[in-house]
Amino acid sequence: MDSFTNTLGVNQQSKKQAWMDKIRTEAAVEQARALIDKVTDNCFEKCVPKPGSTLTSGETTCINQCMEKYMSAWNTVSRKYIERIQAKDI
Amino acid sequence: MDSSSGDINLTDLSQNDKRELQQFVSNEAQKAKIQSTVHYLTDMCWKRCITSKISSGQMDSYERPCMENCVERYIDSQMTVLKHLEQMRGSI
Repeated sequence: MDSFTNTLGVNQQSKKQAWMDKIRTEAAVEQARALIDKVTDNCFEKCVPKPGSTLTSGETTCINQCMEKYMSAWNTVSRKYIERIQAKDI
Repeated sequence: MDSSSGDINLTDLSQNDKRELQQFVSNEAQKAKIQSTVHYLTDMCWKRCITSKISSGQMDSYERPCMENCVERYIDSQMTVLKHLEQMRGSI
């Protein structure tokens, strides 16, 4: 009886775990997708103002730097925003 | 959304497990909401603060504080709107 309930418990535990992992993964994928969209929008705007017949090496460099900069800006905003919403006044 | 969704049957979970999952989902939802606000703010503040052409992968000494101020002032503005709305409601 003891081992039976144990097995059941473990089974439920792993089921619950699987469910949580699935939600975490979906949230992370959604999060990455949103970031890629924003980076592409903003960096295309900045780096490719006049699209030519190919992406030049200058444009490629710009896009790579822009991407790093955007992610760094995202982290700065995230830190500030969380700091503010955790403060008393909101 | 995908076929694996049906693999996890929650009906035979204990009350405790259900409660724990509910808490988990509500935390995740809260996190997702915060992240989506961060996406919105980054996009908006980027357009205001990153105005010169990209010459490095780092923000410069003007851009970083501008991004921070942008977040702070946006929240201030939001608070101001809410406060004023409250006043307007009181005066009706």
